[in-house]
Amino acid sequence: MKLGLVIDLDTCVGCNACAVACKQWNTSGTTGPLTDFEPYGKDPTGVWFNRIRNYEVGDYPNSKTVHFPMSCMHCDDAACVTVCPTGASYKREEDGIVLVDQDKCMGCNYCAWACPYGARELDREDGVMKKCTLCVDRIYDQNLPEDERKPACVMTCPAHARYFGDFDDPNSEVSVITRERDGSALMPELGYEPVNKYLPPRSKKHVETYMNETNPISKVKDWVNRIVAR
Amino acid sequence: MHPAISVIFFTVTSGAGYGLFAITCLYNAINPHNALGSQGVLTASAIALALITMGLISSTFHLANPKNAWRAFSRIRTSWLAREGLLAVLFYPIAGIYMLTVWKGVDSYNWLVAISVFTALWAIATVFTTGMIYACLKTIRQWHNALTPVNYILLGVMLGGLVFLLLASMYTAATINLIINATYLIGIAATAKIVYFFWIGSPAGPTINTATAFTRSMVRLLDVGHTAGTFLTDEFGYQVARARLILLRWMVLLFAFAVPALVLWVGINMMPVATAVTIAVASAFTGVIIERWLFFAEARHVVNLYHGAQQC
Amino acid sequence: MPANLPQFEDHGNQEHKYTTCYMCACRCGIKVTVEGNQVRFIQGNKNHPINKGVLCAKGNAGIMKQNSPAKLTQPLMRREGSERGEGDFEPVSWETALDYLTERLRKIRETDPKKLAFFTGRDQMQALTGFWAQQFGTINWAAHGGFCSVNMAAAGLYTIGHAFWEFGDPDWDRTKYFMLWGVAEDHSSNPIKIGLEKLKRRGAKFVSINPVRTGYQAIADEWVPVKPGTDAMLALSMVHVLLKNDLFDWEYIVRYTNSTHLVVHTPLEKGDGLIYRNQEGKPLAWDLEKETFVDATLAEIKPALFGEYQTPEGITVKTAFTILAERYLADEYAPENATKVCGVPADMIERLAMEMAHVAFEESIEIKTEWTDWAGRKHDSFIGRPVSMHAMRGISAHSNGFQACRAIHLLQVLLGSVDVPGGHLAKPPYPKHVCPPIKPAKPKAPGEALDGPPLGFPTCPEDLVIDDDGNPLRIDKAYSWEAPVANHGLMHMVITNAVNGDPYPIDTLIFFMANMSWNSSMNTGKIRDLLREKDENGEYKLPFLTIVDAFHSEMVAFADLVLPDTTYLERYDTISMLDRPISEPDAVCDAIRAPVVEKTSDVRAWQEVMVEMASRLKFPAFINEDGSAKYKDYKDFIINYEKAPGIGFLAGWRGENGDKALRGEPNPKQWEKYIENECFFEYRLAKHERYYRFANKDYLEFANKAGFINSSEPIVMELYSETLQKFRLAGLGLYDGPQPKDERDQYRTSRFFDPLPEYFIPLEQRCTSPEEYPFHAITQRPMMMYHSWDSQNAWLRQILAQNYMYMNRQKAEEMGIEDLSWIWVESKTGRIRVQVKLMEGTEESTIWTWNAIGKQRGAWGLDPEANESNQGFLLNHLINEHLPCGDTGRPITNSDPITGQAAWYDLQVKVYPAKKGEIGVWPNFETIKPLPGSEGNKDTLRYQTHKAVGLNRSLKDILTRGETKRK
Repeated sequence: MKLGLVIDLDTCVGCNACAVACKQWNTSGTTGPLTDFEPYGKDPTGVWFNRIRNYEVGDYPNSKTVHFPMSCMHCDDAACVTVCPTGASYKREEDGIVLVDQDKCMGCNYCAWACPYGARELDREDGVMKKCTLCVDRIYDQNLPEDERKPACVMTCPAHARYFGDFDDPNSEVSVITRERDGSALMPELGYEPVNKYLPPRSKKHVETYMNETNPISKVKDWVNRIVAR
Repeated sequence: MHPAISVIFFTVTSGAGYGLFAITCLYNAINPHNALGSQGVLTASAIALALITMGLISSTFHLANPKNAWRAFSRIRTSWLAREGLLAVLFYPIAGIYMLTVWKGVDSYNWLVAISVFTALWAIATVFTTGMIYACLKTIRQWHNALTPVNYILLGVMLGGLVFLLLASMYTAATINLIINATYLIGIAATAKIVYFFWIGSPAGPTINTATAFTRSMVRLLDVGHTAGTFLTDEFGYQVARARLILLRWMVLLFAFAVPALVLWVGINMMPVATAVTIAVASAFTGVIIERWLFFAEARHVVNLYHGAQQC
Repeated sequence: MPANLPQFEDHGNQEHKYTTCYMCACRCGIKVTVEGNQVRFIQGNKNHPINKGVLCAKGNAGIMKQNSPAKLTQPLMRREGSERGEGDFEPVSWETALDYLTERLRKIRETDPKKLAFFTGRDQMQALTGFWAQQFGTINWAAHGGFCSVNMAAAGLYTIGHAFWEFGDPDWDRTKYFMLWGVAEDHSSNPIKIGLEKLKRRGAKFVSINPVRTGYQAIADEWVPVKPGTDAMLALSMVHVLLKNDLFDWEYIVRYTNSTHLVVHTPLEKGDGLIYRNQEGKPLAWDLEKETFVDATLAEIKPALFGEYQTPEGITVKTAFTILAERYLADEYAPENATKVCGVPADMIERLAMEMAHVAFEESIEIKTEWTDWAGRKHDSFIGRPVSMHAMRGISAHSNGFQACRAIHLLQVLLGSVDVPGGHLAKPPYPKHVCPPIKPAKPKAPGEALDGPPLGFPTCPEDLVIDDDGNPLRIDKAYSWEAPVANHGLMHMVITNAVNGDPYPIDTLIFFMANMSWNSSMNTGKIRDLLREKDENGEYKLPFLTIVDAFHSEMVAFADLVLPDTTYLERYDTISMLDRPISEPDAVCDAIRAPVVEKTSDVRAWQEVMVEMASRLKFPAFINEDGSAKYKDYKDFIINYEKAPGIGFLAGWRGENGDKALRGEPNPKQWEKYIENECFFEYRLAKHERYYRFANKDYLEFANKAGFINSSEPIVMELYSETLQKFRLAGLGLYDGPQPKDERDQYRTSRFFDPLPEYFIPLEQRCTSPEEYPFHAITQRPMMMYHSWDSQNAWLRQILAQNYMYMNRQKAEEMGIEDLSWIWVESKTGRIRVQVKLMEGTEESTIWTWNAIGKQRGAWGLDPEANESNQGFLLNHLINEHLPCGDTGRPITNSDPITGQAAWYDLQVKVYPAKKGEIGVWPNFETIKPLPGSEGNKDTLRYQTHKAVGLNRSLKDILTRGETKRK
């Protein structure tokens, strides 16, 4: 299996639901707590696995605002794992999920340096690196209803802009939609073979304009009443 | 990249230490009956080990969770950091054997040459792995090239060479040849560094367009999605004004290379050798520390593209 | 757990409970996982009709609301001798607090009940709070609708019998063309997101009309950057294009609207513009076959849509549609002229109108289902015009917003797209008859309950709540000549009017969940001063202020008495059909909240307190004949109170056994049934009852039986509003009944009460030079804090703790304004210094910021150094609650002249760079004192409900794994 996400940039409205759902689930999850610093003070910050950035493409008035959620891409050739000296970072053989074993991390930040996508964040309080687990503590939990065995971000997304599935299966929803919608990876030139894919905004929808064959109206008298029963 | 003091200190001192050890080994192997004598060689080796150790200890200050530092050797199969750790740690017994050899004295010159070359290579290799820690990162264009380990080695050897020269001067062994060789080291290191500065100046690599996959129009950051800084902006967002960078580059060239070279060429005739070499060493260390600071400060991690940089 | 993983969650120690979210006004269903009275996880309830399993950022941040340091924990009274606004409080017991308040209210009730003003903010139980006020006998009650979106609601109810958001939704599953007007990232939240994705997946076109391109607008196929406040002109220009091209749904308009009704044409005489009626008061039409006047409400007549006729009395009458067409065919509305007003290119206006016409008439859809119309005629299918629209605050919050919303509805009706497949669908209990037959209550004798709810729908000047001299009777001047159709009141005027004693002073003001000393008031600084203003005897002009809230908002500091409410996770609530409904177009729905965690401090749900006070004060509906309390508590009240026989607050599981839906006897186990059913009730309409409900016999009969409407007569949409014309005639002095005496009221009613939708220049702009104040300044709701009462939320504030003033990059560069520089923004009312951020997606004459990010130092449990209090700012300081027109005479509210909707977005400003060294946000306010017992905040927050179970990678794997790349 090659588990990962598809993000639909055509429907993401930038609401941050996925980011907060992630925070909520994971702060009590296997890599929790996700420490927050100055939670009620100046410059509040904390550990998040999923952040939404916002861009504008093109110039006014033809600009397009793009909301851009980013989390771990679970790269096939995960440099963060390659560089990890302790073995805390690893990519699971079974499903390709890239994880950090909190008990083995020495907090050297090296994996974060190797990651082009900003997917890893050091929890300065715990001194260890934390990252998206693809909700490994949800997706295999037999005690959850089957349709809830999904990453928290995917379950919650109101705009259905997130898909989760197995890219090894050519018929899975993620494989099909990536093919059909020309999904692409970010910064493919670095060669890390990110598993997560981004669906570009759909091309602008064209609608016909009504072709009126009757004479245009210029005053009320141009209309002739029609008999219509009330 | 955020220039962490501990890492700067680590790479400069341990680089100088390995350089000094390697030079000491080679010098002693080439001139077995030198003016330093075994005491001088052992002193040089001890100073080198002290520099190395200080550097390594310093490097652990960079760790957020040092209690797991012992695990750092686990992944030598893939990790340059693990390799560096392993080479650095294994250097101690090797250095020990070398020093024992010098201390006890050996009859076989071949054995001395063998152990010297081996130890020197190990030292250089260790510096090489340090360089590779950075050079293997495709995420940082300024680091991801062969010049990175070359610079690490050359600057380590240069610093080591100058420290060796200082020691030699105390043993009145600072021959003109030695001084000329030292200036060669400076010249080579300077050349490589200048090439590096030009190399990283030419724009290449990922852009905000490839980062976002919007390749046909101007892409601008509207909002980064968090009001305060994050780990990512703290670690990678470090940026220095262009004018200041240029100034600092000149300072690197001045302190790391020009002053030491000038002092060795010209100053040597105006003051005691030891004084001149001391000035050269102090200046070179200052220069290399600035160089190392710049090495981080000039490095632009590609994650900055997501934070609004147009190119890294 | 398989796949070589440990068991991470201790399910044995966890419980799943259902309730309804309250992080904004959407009322999504949530499933809450609780672990030892702590919330492990909040997720959307997949069975819930509103959110179908999804949940937004706010809903996901509920844990941090539950754990907020801003939670009030005990009743507080202002310390004797301290000044109001200092926030110097003394804890008191509930007994003391309620004894005191009840005694004070008893006196008011026995002497002059309107001296109690009770206004509620983010209230989701207006049916209860309104009923409480009615029972108390005060007309001075309203919720926050007057400063929210009453224009949207009122325009719909006075035109098509339903409206947007809570009243109706696009047919997300079938619409092929969707036009989103002025949604400032506000209502609704999840349903819009779910809907947009659905229509994009189907390949429908999404057009967004908005000066700012963020949020929903970001994913629009086409963005139309309109100038703020000109949407009516844009809509009416599209109407012009449709009429010019003879493109409208002729049959639909004849059958379902009042377009064929004949309108008296006697300019400057009494009766002009009113509907020509027969002796029974029925409107008349001209029958084309019979060639005579006929009762326009009859079936099978053949009414003329166009024409001018002479009545036997010799009066000229015209069909309403003739007047309408004459109006909008005029050159004024031609795209080439409209563009000068709204800034949208003429060819774009033309194209958008013709695209919609194409979709409506060439891509019509048909749903094969037999249904019966109001006259008993069978039809074998529903014809759909798959064009739909949604409009919200961006349209509403202008002084011309009522008419702008009507203009949008006109466009929808011309396309035949209201309550048809693919169009804009009503949500039960809507549609209602235009307009609902509830009149605003008038005062009664002290000690008596009002005859009806304080708020209602006036249809003529006689319905106004004014005294014999024409002066307002309500403290907010709703239903007076200043705002005759103020269906939601004018909460934004209450403090100003009460302190100024205009129209009269009051004794006690109760605010529930409203932050009126900060982001919910215009002119915040002045309002704060007013709250502290004293008379010559040193007494506060507003004698007693009670604040009911769960959190330490900026308003709390001004309270004389603070009653702490519970959080939404700690209480019982009803989201009632009698209130703001949560139905879906095809289902009647209501819901409850039930506690999922136990409260940990001495707080009480306000609804419990209200029921208790109602018994203590002996409200007639709350006591038995012997004077004893009729209801044990809130839950008991909800079960047993019947508004009409069989109709109560909750529609589900009625009847003694719980087997009746919508109507039935009280069921003592009703709460249990709701909890069993995940806290909501859904009654799905039969297929033949889902469309054309304004004329659908089975639906109308069903709705009548369920008490949604009180007649099964068809609902006739009013494109031409006789109601408005009556007020206009009154303004012109041509009305037999109350007429305004003040010249300005005469002008306002005669000028703005146009029976047809119109565009007029917003009121503030009418007295503001566009050369001097060239920018429109507006706010948007950040989606992750929409409603923005959650800036204290530890997670959400990390995303956004500081707002900027956004402006168009090219425009700013022309003006020499640099990105992130400090600028002054100045209106006629005041100025603020803020940091500017340049962007592409902002219309050139617009500047905007996120709403309500700025907080007062020390409020909301934040440290005084918090970004919100030091870099965040409010636009409110620039907006005056009175029109800034420098008139002499009485000040006039800065609101829609028809509905009293607060005209937040009319604001006109100038922008200029701050001088060198002028850095930082201005103005600043004092720091609020911490609450008694407050311990201050910790530097770190490490929330978890159980210790993490680690991954435990094996040493063997670490040492033996080679390549990291998988084979």
